[in-house]
Amino acid sequence: MAVGAVDAGADSIYVGALGWSRRPYELEMTDSQIKEVITHAKANDADIRVVFNTFPSPMEYRQWLDAIARFAELGAAGFIVTDPGAIAPIRQLAPDAVIHVSIGSGITNLEDVYFYKDLGADVIILPYRWGVKEVRELHKKCDIEKEVFLFEPIQTGKICPGKCIMSSYLKFRNWTEEEGKDYFYGSANRGAKECYRICQKAWDFGVVNEAHQALKLRSDAHLMLEQIPEMIQAGVSCFKLSGRERPAKMICDLVAFYRKVIDGILDGTQIDMSAYAAEMEVLRKRWVAAKGRRVNSLVSRAHSYGHEKSSVKEGI
Amino acid sequence: MFELSTGVCNPKMLNEGDYSAYDALYLGDYSCPLYPENFSAHIDVLSKAVETVHNWGKKSFVRLYAVPSNHELLWMEEFIEEVFKLPVDGIEVHNMGLLRMLKNMGNQIPVHLGVFGNLYTHETARILKEYGVERVYPNPELSLKEIVFIKEQTPIDVLVPVHGKMPLVISETCFILEHDASSEGKCNYACTEEHWLHRSEGDWSLKDTGRMTVSGKDLCMIEYMQQMVDQGLQHFHVQNLGEPADYAGTVGAIYRRELDRITAGLQPESMEEMLQALSAHAKMGLCNGYYFESAGQHYIGRG
Repeated sequence: MAVGAVDAGADSIYVGALGWSRRPYELEMTDSQIKEVITHAKANDADIRVVFNTFPSPMEYRQWLDAIARFAELGAAGFIVTDPGAIAPIRQLAPDAVIHVSIGSGITNLEDVYFYKDLGADVIILPYRWGVKEVRELHKKCDIEKEVFLFEPIQTGKICPGKCIMSSYLKFRNWTEEEGKDYFYGSANRGAKECYRICQKAWDFGVVNEAHQALKLRSDAHLMLEQIPEMIQAGVSCFKLSGRERPAKMICDLVAFYRKVIDGILDGTQIDMSAYAAEMEVLRKRWVAAKGRRVNSLVSRAHSYGHEKSSVKEGI
Repeated sequence: MFELSTGVCNPKMLNEGDYSAYDALYLGDYSCPLYPENFSAHIDVLSKAVETVHNWGKKSFVRLYAVPSNHELLWMEEFIEEVFKLPVDGIEVHNMGLLRMLKNMGNQIPVHLGVFGNLYTHETARILKEYGVERVYPNPELSLKEIVFIKEQTPIDVLVPVHGKMPLVISETCFILEHDASSEGKCNYACTEEHWLHRSEGDWSLKDTGRMTVSGKDLCMIEYMQQMVDQGLQHFHVQNLGEPADYAGTVGAIYRRELDRITAGLQPESMEEMLQALSAHAKMGLCNGYYFESAGQHYIGRG
């Protein structure tokens, strides 16, 4: 997928280092795979940034930093991190690396952005809730590169990346064997990297002894189109697709589509987004279908996994 | 030697609860500034509460709203300026932006990092020290081993939750309000009634307070107090948000009894009676959280 995304026109590809990103191990890459895509990207004027956006265990911090140093040496252009304590050590290890603050940092306001900038971050990945108005205000007040996911802003539901541990409260799986790490505890934040997306399935919700509603805990995200010109005007310099859990062909098609849309806006050849409406509609349907399949698969894994290492007393 | 603390949201809770077992009270509901007479958003009621708590001979810590959006920074700055004038023993902050704001405002009051500050590592704890943080409430996902490691590696105290529903999610909008057709988008304090989320497939239950979702089961570490004390932990916390008036008193008395026993060096008591009393207040049962590297909702137990 990473090679395909470069070929489809992506400027930067974010790849998950095995054991250290917020996704399952089958969606992460080994050192040699990352080395290979760095070479391919460099040959095509693109760059590779490595995702280290788990919160590592304090007891594996050294191992975590060693992995970052290794990828810096291999030529990674940047790193995405969540733990505030990581920024200074990475700057020391890789002075020229671009340091992104992950969506998992859970920022909610401008002061948060200043906090990470003060620590040395170069790029801030903006919250899903922020629309053009907030982005514009940030651009006016703070000199930091802004990156947004290509989703329309969402205002309702439990949208709290980095600030949700529901999944690991209910179930987690120990991945130690697959990844060969000494310490491993399950959660999206920590690196079991298998958030079961239970927020995206229906729950019975209501007051005790009253009729309940069947509700998802968060709204579905829609791929962005209409807002892109305004986002560019508001200072967004990086648009991002969340690609690792989607079919490679679909991601390559989306990269090619958004490359065309963004280039058209930048060179003025097409600034009317309605010109892309039909094409967008098809891509959105593909996205929703792929996402539904993925959520179903994750939730069914959560149901099927047994308890983990310790004996567990139920019913207390 | 030890500090046992709990949270109190508003004057009603303060007046109705029995806090005699506690050494310190965290004042305010950090999840929603709209909660009725929330100490985290109403300086007048907070001021009186601080006085009351000090008259009881206890410490008072003020909790700030955990997830302020841009439009809320102004009132929060004004609120913090007023907090500076009160004789509070600490300010609990969950948001890095507010942490920075406090530093820039010249704060001299000890800062505690709250649960949604997402503290996972000793490296971050060291950085937060530069922002005046003297105590951290680690993310609930940390194991006991990791908490002890952070305490040993940093010059910062650790607040260890030992009982009550664990905060799992917080968001800037209210889930109850969004799905209450009668509210017409305006808060009518529906969260004062208990709301639950259930999913029969998996037999999963969570409690929802509007902007926050907490564990369905109550964390319970009464069996492990001696072990935690032996590992150098000293500050223990009971989560009390959204619980009935007698919850804090009953739970606090049980943990105080155990801490007093440990202090006196007496032989351990049978846990059965204490566990039964604690179970009676936990609708969905008890759990050990993540302390023993398990999914949060399981109870491991010594036996």
